[in-house]
Amino acid sequence: MANSLHAFIQGTKAAMLAISAHGMRSALTTLGIIIGVGAVITVVAIMESLSATITDQLDDLGSDMVTLQAHTNPEQEMLGKSNKLSYDDFLMLKAKTKNVSDMTATMRAFSLGTSVQYGRSNTQTQIIGTDSSYQRVINTYPELGRFLSESDDLRRRRVAFIGSTVAEKLNMPSNPTGEFINLSGDWFRVIGLAETRGKIFGFDQDNYIIAPFSTIRSLNGSQATDNIDIMFRPQPGASLDVIKRQMTQILRQKHKLSDEDVDYFKFTTAEKAKKQFAQITNTVTFVAGGVVGISLLVGGIGIMNIMLVSVTERTKEIGIAKALGATPQFILFQFLIEALILSLLGGVIGLALGYGLAAMIAMFMPGDGGVMVPLWAVALSFGFTTAIGVIFGLAPAIKASKLNPVDALRYE
Amino acid sequence: MVELDHDSVIDLRGITKNYQMADQNFCALDNINLSINRNEYVAITGPSGSGKSTLMNVLGCLDNPSSGEYFLDQKNVAMQSEAQLAKIRNYGVGFIFQSFNLLPRASVLVNVMQPLIYRVMPNSERKQLALTALDRVGLSDKVYSLPNQLSGGQRQRVAIARALVTNPAIILGDEPTGNLDSKTTGDIMALFDELHDQGHTIILVTHEADIARHCRRVIRLVDGHIESDVINTKEPENG
Repeated sequence: MANSLHAFIQGTKAAMLAISAHGMRSALTTLGIIIGVGAVITVVAIMESLSATITDQLDDLGSDMVTLQAHTNPEQEMLGKSNKLSYDDFLMLKAKTKNVSDMTATMRAFSLGTSVQYGRSNTQTQIIGTDSSYQRVINTYPELGRFLSESDDLRRRRVAFIGSTVAEKLNMPSNPTGEFINLSGDWFRVIGLAETRGKIFGFDQDNYIIAPFSTIRSLNGSQATDNIDIMFRPQPGASLDVIKRQMTQILRQKHKLSDEDVDYFKFTTAEKAKKQFAQITNTVTFVAGGVVGISLLVGGIGIMNIMLVSVTERTKEIGIAKALGATPQFILFQFLIEALILSLLGGVIGLALGYGLAAMIAMFMPGDGGVMVPLWAVALSFGFTTAIGVIFGLAPAIKASKLNPVDALRYE
Repeated sequence: MVELDHDSVIDLRGITKNYQMADQNFCALDNINLSINRNEYVAITGPSGSGKSTLMNVLGCLDNPSSGEYFLDQKNVAMQSEAQLAKIRNYGVGFIFQSFNLLPRASVLVNVMQPLIYRVMPNSERKQLALTALDRVGLSDKVYSLPNQLSGGQRQRVAIARALVTNPAIILGDEPTGNLDSKTTGDIMALFDELHDQGHTIILVTHEADIARHCRRVIRLVDGHIESDVINTKEPENG
């Protein structure tokens, strides 16, 4: 044991000397590992910070927010059916469901199309009809002006709360409140400008116009074709499953569905979207990780190559060491440690490089620009480079340790 | 220092060494039987190609004989593991190579310290022992020089210091004065005499009659076998 420790310490010293004696060659050898580890760290760090940004944004949307939408299953679709959630459904749910806060209904303004005009500018956007409770459900707050009020809805006022992209595309003044915009012939007064939310996966979160639910409903005309989305938030501590069961029961009773009939609606949560997104980023991370893993393998072979050259080149030196009493174990340690140091050196430099690169790229990404290198990626990189050092250093080290002293000494 | 008694420390029985060169079989050592006692002072002479260096390599456990048995300190060398052989080379034998075999990129001090690297001891002690050995060969002023900054004689003395630093029972010198002028040769031989007086067993390969005459016993090799094995009396008689 003491001998092994001694061989380890002295072997490390000898390895350090050998590495520094061939500075340039050592640097080139580690390059493969540097690039490999650097690439792994960059990819992982970017994926992690991207996913953290998105998760943050999804949290802003309210990860506990639940959307209830009409759902037509493929069988029904083939029969030409199209299920709808009506305003009556909403009112009934709002009256009967317990443990739910901030329930709100939204409606697409299909009669108004998607075109909006201001002065000579016009743009495409989505127009949502909803009421004042929407603000709390979706966490949308005004930058300027105000959100919809209850009286806006009661009086069917033609007012609009707009996202920042709409204001920008329409070249509106920096404070657009009080201006009038034209939605397919109907004039709406802008009462508020929303805080900018940014983009998720390239989807603009600020391209929308919100108008009072009753206004949109009357403009849509025929009430028979109402189709609304319902959003709500369970009260803190309340079980979402219980609420879902309750709502399902209410709606099924109202529509007199028999046991064979399937639900004509479905629940969606932000939590689910978050999970789906996490799945995507994990897949991308592992695929990218696998690809760059190959470059680590190539780097490892580079180390083995140089170690074999080094053993051959230093045959005489090994012969001297053996003649002076170095044990095979000592020689083995010396060359193994040399390979290990080379690959770990590559790992450390690669880690720094990858971190720097990720930080640079992060500056061009949405979010707060922070880079996170998860601990598992660091541990994995070091585990991998250590393994490479040992695996690819072993063959040359064994070769060196088995040299016959007299033959090694004769080598020129 | 080494204990003084007259057991045989080296015992060769029918040692033969063959080399396969191209398709010719070359016999470097042919059935050598030889016994050397503790504290003997032996010269091995002979023309070049007579197998002197091969015999030295076998004695220093650097090379394995093709057949025959070698008992070093009553132990059969062929039965030792690689690690045990390394220990013998480190503790039992000090080898002075004809071509010095110094590490070119390491200082004189590091070269002399090298055999002690394979022993568990504090570095300060290694350094102290190396400095003492260098002092004995008169190189105290060249401690931090590189081998290529030294003359042939100085390099030879570094090689000797490296063999002495472990205080081995047996010192093997392959032409230890081959590269030295007569003045330095005298100094070096005086050093060997002194080591002999201290109880070391000394075996030198040489083709110089002066050196051989200095030794107490002269073994002459010709074509891989012992031609003569003579104890020197006061007056030199064999060359």
